[in-house]
Parts: sequence; C-alpha cells; structure tokens
Amino acid sequence: MNGLQFEALLPYTLLAAASLVVILLIAFRLSHTVIQITGFILMCAVMVALLQASALLPVAIYPIFQIDGFALLFTGLLVLCVMVVGLFSFIYFEEREENPKEYYILLFLGTLGAAVLSISSHFISLFIGLELLSVSLYALIAYLRNRNNAVEAGIKYLVLAAISSAFLLFGMAMIYMETGSMEFATIAKKLQTSNGHSILFITGTGMMVVAIGFKLALAPFHLWAADVYEGAPTPVTAFIATASKIGVFAVLLRFFQTIGLSNYPMVITVFLVLAVASMIIGNLLALRQQNLKRLLAYSSIAHFGYLLVAFLPGNAAGVQVAVFYLLSYSITLLIAFGVITLLSSREQDTGDLALFRGLFWKKPVTAAVLTLALLSLAGIPLTGGFLAKFFVLATGAQQQLWFPVTVLVITSVIGLYYYLRVISTLFGEAVPTPVKKTLHPFFYLTTYTSLIVMVVLLCWLGTFPNDVIEYINRQLLIR
Amino acid sequence: MSALFYISSLIAILATIMVITRYNPIHALLYLVVSLMAAAMIFVTLGAPFVAALEVIIYAGAIMVLFIFFVMMLNLGNTTTLQEKLWLQPKIWIGPSILSLILLGELIVLLLQEKPTPLPVTVVDARKVALSLYGEYIIIVELAGFLLMAGIVGAAHIGKHRKKHLHRFLQEEENSHGHPPASQADNAKQIVDHKEPKSIV
Repeated sequence: MNGLQFEALLPYTLLAAASLVVILLIAFRLSHTVIQITGFILMCAVMVALLQASALLPVAIYPIFQIDGFALLFTGLLVLCVMVVGLFSFIYFEEREENPKEYYILLFLGTLGAAVLSISSHFISLFIGLELLSVSLYALIAYLRNRNNAVEAGIKYLVLAAISSAFLLFGMAMIYMETGSMEFATIAKKLQTSNGHSILFITGTGMMVVAIGFKLALAPFHLWAADVYEGAPTPVTAFIATASKIGVFAVLLRFFQTIGLSNYPMVITVFLVLAVASMIIGNLLALRQQNLKRLLAYSSIAHFGYLLVAFLPGNAAGVQVAVFYLLSYSITLLIAFGVITLLSSREQDTGDLALFRGLFWKKPVTAAVLTLALLSLAGIPLTGGFLAKFFVLATGAQQQLWFPVTVLVITSVIGLYYYLRVISTLFGEAVPTPVKKTLHPFFYLTTYTSLIVMVVLLCWLGTFPNDVIEYINRQLLIR
Repeated sequence: MSALFYISSLIAILATIMVITRYNPIHALLYLVVSLMAAAMIFVTLGAPFVAALEVIIYAGAIMVLFIFFVMMLNLGNTTTLQEKLWLQPKIWIGPSILSLILLGELIVLLLQEKPTPLPVTVVDARKVALSLYGEYIIIVELAGFLLMAGIVGAAHIGKHRKKHLHRFLQEEENSHGHPPASQADNAKQIVDHKEPKSIV
C-alpha cells in the first residue's frame, strides 16, 4: 500500500481505531460521559479525514476497494447518522443499562461494516462488510437483555440475517462459477465478452438480491422489520433504519452500476416488482398500526420502495436522486427516533400512539419537531421529503417508468392518512401525567439542539436544495 | 474423480439433514462432524488440500470439541450422567460410522490411485493461500479480526452475569424482605402501576 492509498483509506482506519479507543477507555474504567464525548470527537475526526481525502480521490486499492466520490458521499452520510445516534444514546442507555459502554464499541464496528460496504468493489469485501454490520447489529438489538422483546428481536434478526447471508454466499458462488472472478469490474468485462445472458449469472444475481432485499427490508423480505424496530433500543432502531440501510444501498448501487445490470430486462423486472410490492405492502400495513415504532418500520419499507424507483433507470441522475433521497430520509427518521428516545420512560420505549396524545400541549417544541418529521415523511412541500419524492418522480417519469410512478403517487396518498393520524393524535386532548425529572441536563440539551439543527436542515433541504445537489453532483463526478 | 466428488457431496447433504432432524444435541453433533469431514473431502477432490486440512483441524477438531464441552457443562449431576449413557447407545454410532467409513474409503481410493486423473482444476496449496491472504487481501484479514471482535464483545455483553438475576416474582419478594417497611399493599400498588399504561413525561 502506498502513501496515497493509505491517506485515502484514513477515514476508514480511523473508524476502526475508534472502536479500539473505546475498548481502551473501558479498560481504564473511564466514565460513560468521557466515552460518549471521545466517541463524538472521533467521529468528527473521521469527517475531517473524509474531507481531507476528497482531494486525493479517486483511489483504488486493487482489487478490494474503490474509494471515489460516491463512496465518500455515502460514508459521510453514514458517519453523520452515527454521530446523531451516538448523541441520542447517552440519555437512553445511561438510565436503562448497568454497563452502557460496550454499546459504543459495537456501534462503531457496525459503522465500520457499513462504511466498508460503501467502498467495496469485490465480493469478499462486500461479504465481510455485511457480516461486520450484521454481527454488531445482533448484539446491539438485544443490548437491553432484561427486556424480553429486545431479546426476541435479536434472535429473530440473527436467524433471518444468517439465512440471508447463506443466500448471498450462494449467489456469489454462482456468479464466480460463471465468470471466474469476484471483482465487480472483471465480472462486468467477462460478461461483455460472453453473451451475458446465462442462467447461472441471473440465478446468482437473484440470490444476491434476496440477501440485499432482506437487509433493506424490501417487500417480500420485510417480515422482520416491525418486530425488530419495536424490540430494539430506540437509538439502535435509528441506526438500523439509517446507517445500515445506507451502507447496503451503497453497495447495491455500485454493483448494479459496475455490472450494468440495467441491461438485463429480467433483473429490472425483479427490482420493479420489489419496488411496487414494497410501496404497496409497506403503506397498507402501516395504516392500522397503533405503535409509532412499528409504523415507522412499515413506512421505511415503503420509502425504500420509492427509492428503488429512482434506482431502476440505472443512470447517473438516478444515483444523484438516490443520494438526496437518502439524505433527507435519514435526517427525518433520525428526528423521529430522537423524539421517541427523549420521551421514552425507563421501563419501556414510548411507541404506543396513546402515549403521544396531547403531546403538543405538554411539550410544544418536541411535538412540533415530530410533526415536521412526519410531514417530511409524508412528502408535504417545504420539507426535504417533498423534494426528494419529487425528484424520484421526475427521474421515473423521464425514463417513462409509468407503472411504478403511478403506484408511487397512489401509495403516497394512502401514506398521508397514517402520518396525519399520528399528527392529529399529537394535537389531541392532553391527559395529565407526572413530570419526569431531567437527569442529565447537558445531554438533554445536546439532544434537543441536534433535533432543532436537523429540523432546520430538513427545511433548508426542502427550500434551497441547489447547494446540496450541486455538491452531490460534484462528488459523484469523481470516479 | 468426479464420482468421488458427488459421493462426498451426497454424504455432506445426508449428514446435514440428519443434524437438523435430531432431537438430541449429542447425536446432532456426531453427524455434524461427519458433515464437516465430507466438506473437507470435497475440498480435496477440488484440489485444495490445504483448506481440507484446515477444515478438519478447525471445524471437526477445535470447534466440535468446544460444542461438546458446552453440552457436557450444561448437563451436570447423576441423573444427567445416566441420561448421557442412554444417549450414547451403540446403535447411535451406526449411522455416522457408515458415513465416515465411506469417506475413509474415498480417501484410500484417492491415495492408492496409480495415475491420478485430475479434475480440470488448479491445485491451491498453502503457499498460494498465504500469498493471497497476506498480499492483496491483507485488509480483509484485518477486517475479519474486527468481525471477530464484534462477535466477542456482543457475546460478552449479552452473556454477562447480571447483578440481579431473579425472576420478576422472586425479585418482588426479595424487595419486600429487604425493605421491611414496604408492605404487601405497596407491592400490590406497584404491580397495578405497571399495568397502567405509562404515559410520557
């Protein structure tokens, strides 16, 4: 490895080092506060390293990694999400768990896995990254081991993720058998020279799609989503909903683009079916949910359906829209889960909608923040969610994908119903409740501040998206 | 040569089916060993003797021993010793023995062949494995280390002995013993409190 490669890989090395630093801090018996602040500073350092590295790109570490502008965008998004999740974690775990410190090791390792996914250009790095992410998630989901539903969710995720890994490996083996290579670019070359429509390759791709679909909770593979979202600790749910999906989506996008899967009508049909099924099933199942965490789980299924519509054409505009969509979606979901974290009681997470009744009259700011997040999820103008959905629609219409676009519009209208139901609950009549004492004022303040900052960002994205889009475009050109 | 491959694949599949259909962990483990050895045999026929040796040493050797240790540690006392004797009756050994004998036969055939007729594969020896692991894939090896760390940290956290390890009913009892002033009525009230939906803030 030469100096240039080392420097380009520095953000990822730092991310890996962060988990080791946390282990050392635990070994020296430092307090939760110290670990939390150190973790935040380390994540800031990773961001700085990313910005530094962006001047050197693109750099390839043959054959396993390809660090380019695309990878940089996704890694940056991931690290930002993890920063916010880390902020939420302090108040959550300090009250509920006798040893909250190991959590940060697992969180950073999971992030490392997702970041490796975003730069991988080889099946081996894809697999190791995915496993690193999943293994950290098993433990993170079951982290509050005194809660039965957390352990249940952890087991459920463990079993299903193991099966999906088996599918992934089998698919990789088939593609390897056909092309004799595990590197994306070489596979693409081999496929061009052969006529490229072999049964083995299509079957292998199908098997891989099963595994990816599981991780992204796309429609036929979504059965774990609601239970895991509900059972997992709320910051972990936020991590699953944002960072884990961003990483997996990044590698899917890279694989899809490098191989040129948009030339295979069969693959396109498969993704079309997945997208339409996700949009319909996600929105319909969310209609009757009485628990906000479950509702967000189903809504995230639907949202990844929308995202696939942008992804279907397989062109550069689609990628740009996908990045913008993921950005606004992550901010929105982080806000929603942040509010749930703030409101959760010691015994259970506040998921039940009845507990949100009349929140506006008790905590107007929190309720307003949550309302904005839900409006953005529903795609109401002036929020980031609206523009993201609009761009997706525009890309779909440009490629004349009329069927998925129609489904998108219809299901969005259905989606409005359940988001507005939650909002109307927030403004309902308040039930008197005892006031909870604020235990860690500093961290409550930081959590509130981060929520407010994210809301401002969301509105900024919804009104002046040009700067962000230009930045995304500039980065995507580095390849 | 390819007949050997198919025979060992068949054994691997059979043994694995037996693993997941046994009711008894020890019986399942017996078949698991056979299944792993069959996988090793497949590697040999595919021209990867080094991986085959690793498979036998690591999986059939080390990891199996670990499994058996766990099963043994979970079963302590006289009654379970009797039960273990019941588990390991001679007829249990018949199935795994036949399957492993077939594998042994395959290996002997392979070794005694005068002129081996190779499959169209290149032989991957230890040197090649080492060169690729510590050459172009060195970062992946390091990441695998992190993967292991994630597994260990997670397992250590979830398996850690809790300070309070009681069932919730027992816990309530202990609380009332520990704090004499907390009367039965208080306890009852706490339980009722739990039943009511906790409202926010």
